[in-house]
Amino acid sequence: MFDVLITGGRIVDGTGATARHGNVAIRGGRIAAVGDVTGEAARTIDAAGKVVAPGFIDPHTHFDVQLLWDGAARPALEHGLTTIVPGNCSLSLAPLKAADRSRVVGMFQQIEEMPPEAFTEAFEWCWEDFAGYREAVARHLSINVAPLVGHSVIRLWVMGEAAQQRAATSDEIAAMQDLLRACLDAGAVGLSTSFVDIDENGRPVPSRFAQFAELDALCAVLGEWGGRMLQCVPEFYAVDLTIARIDQLAELSLRHGIPTTFSPLFDSTQAPDNAPRAIARVEEQFARGARVWPQMQTRPIDISFSLLRPSLFFARLPRWVRVLRQPLEARLASLTDPETVERMVADLGPDGGERMMGGLVVRGGDAAPQAYVGRTLSEIARERSQLPARALIDISLENGLDVAFLSAAQGHESTERIGPMLAHPLMHIGASDGGAHIASFATYGDTGYLFSEFVRKAGALTLEQAVRKITSETADIWGLKDRGRLQPGKAADVVVFDDRTIGRGEERAVFDLPGEGMRYVRDAVGIDAVLVNGEVAWAGGRYADARSGVFCN
Amino acid sequence: MRDEAVIVGAEIAAGHDGAAELLVTLRYPNGGRAQVAIDAEAGFALMRNCGVSDLSGLEGQPWRRMLEGAETCSMS
Amino acid sequence: MAPAVRLSRQRRFITPEPGETLETLAARVLPDLSANEAAEKLASWNLHIFLLRKPAGLLLGSDVVFIEPPLG
Repeated sequence: MFDVLITGGRIVDGTGATARHGNVAIRGGRIAAVGDVTGEAARTIDAAGKVVAPGFIDPHTHFDVQLLWDGAARPALEHGLTTIVPGNCSLSLAPLKAADRSRVVGMFQQIEEMPPEAFTEAFEWCWEDFAGYREAVARHLSINVAPLVGHSVIRLWVMGEAAQQRAATSDEIAAMQDLLRACLDAGAVGLSTSFVDIDENGRPVPSRFAQFAELDALCAVLGEWGGRMLQCVPEFYAVDLTIARIDQLAELSLRHGIPTTFSPLFDSTQAPDNAPRAIARVEEQFARGARVWPQMQTRPIDISFSLLRPSLFFARLPRWVRVLRQPLEARLASLTDPETVERMVADLGPDGGERMMGGLVVRGGDAAPQAYVGRTLSEIARERSQLPARALIDISLENGLDVAFLSAAQGHESTERIGPMLAHPLMHIGASDGGAHIASFATYGDTGYLFSEFVRKAGALTLEQAVRKITSETADIWGLKDRGRLQPGKAADVVVFDDRTIGRGEERAVFDLPGEGMRYVRDAVGIDAVLVNGEVAWAGGRYADARSGVFCN
Repeated sequence: MRDEAVIVGAEIAAGHDGAAELLVTLRYPNGGRAQVAIDAEAGFALMRNCGVSDLSGLEGQPWRRMLEGAETCSMS
Repeated sequence: MAPAVRLSRQRRFITPEPGETLETLAARVLPDLSANEAAEKLASWNLHIFLLRKPAGLLLGSDVVFIEPPLG
């Protein structure tokens, strides 16, 4: 008797092997058999015409806070993700002394954009050490969690305020090593550090004050623990800096026998040599025996702005820059002055901004005009019998300037360039940033986009290659031996999806955070069912009360 | 060739956080090139420091214009 | 022991010593230049230390500091 039998699907087992028809049997939270298996089962899932694959793994998220009230990390799970790695970019919620909570909350708010209520209303702080945080989260997990511990909070625990002021002494470094050992012992899968992040006051986060020797000493501990992961976030757009960071990571990898990963690596048409040069350096370092995995996201980067603050989106329009850089009162005066506005619109040329602005999309949000949300400025302008530039100004004025416009796919946008990079054997697909930047853009659905854009549309990867990239390859890179493959004995993390339709929904604003805080999300498309450790966690468009997620390493 | 780095281009780029950034390219006396991404505040300050109202006006400006107005802690 | 693979030449960099400032670092890596000239050269090669943080020029322990211009 099986607990679950998934029947009639095309099994893509995560190894890269060609899809084959068959069944998947689950018992006791584990894969019992794959292939021609039949038998009685407490629950049968009909997967005819669908793909049955291992659950997807997201190696770069910031769900640390959300997991305390939402054990499914919604909407991550419904996109087929069964394991997430929080604690990236040097920040985790443990170890953290009570006295330092407000300081770290500020850092999290800077990165995640969570409202203050998310830290005060949704859960009770009942831990300081890593084991305590694990216990607090584990109570209601629906998704598996493989957490990193943040270098910044380790430094803060040991050094207090000085963590953001100076180099550590040898005694302090030894204390950090001991603390890291305790965190690894309590379930951390590795350490994260950052070379770019700032706190809410614009000050570099603690990890950035660390000498290389301090990072080296901490990596020695990762080596002691059998080669745990070091994650870092390097500087953006400056390829010489990226290469320097790759070389530093390679040195640490070779010296301590550890895997390392940096995220994100972007492609850019404005700097087309950057990603290829970084990848070439990664190839050289792998040839030396180092493990330095670049993480590349699948989704393009959108630009967002409102007229509340000057944006470089207008940098090629001098008059617009002059008007929008004025203090609010003067700005409003200019934007309501007919002569000024007429000139601003004229600056866009004969098409009134159709080419530059027509494709802008009105985003949802607190003050968003609901009738326009999700529609293009071109369409709205036609409806209003206005030129697009004029419509942009007027819609903004009608809503206190608090209307966000989105210019889609302005970076990391070339499918022809990015497809082969994602398929590269040394490229780690990740960097979703799930759970971060929540009020700026949706960080969900990158796996769906992998299939819709790079498998179906571009053919840059086969279905089997794409599944392998985000399942067994990720599990192997991170040492998650129990995950990533549909093989007997492995944990039964399974996703059933339609490879003809899997994708990501349109970005939309929701108000589901503590304190009715707003965030942008994308719904899953083409996902039928998601099982976590053998329990159905999401099916038929609904979350189940499975609570079968675990901490894994 | 000039004996110090000069700006040879500036383009609007999409920042990691969804904001528009300015990607400034500099050429050094040895012919080497580097790029640096700056945020809106620094980008508009650079345009102001250079006395230009269009990005194309940044071409040929000396590298030190990029530091003018920056609140430095140890160098003037 | 890492395999003997020849790495391509990339831009050389160092990381700061504890308590080091850009001025002392400049004197260390460019001893033949005047203090002002050395500091200026270093600044022009390392704009990321000035443009991407506040206060600009604050040297951090984790910084990559290039000791030559981008390769020509």
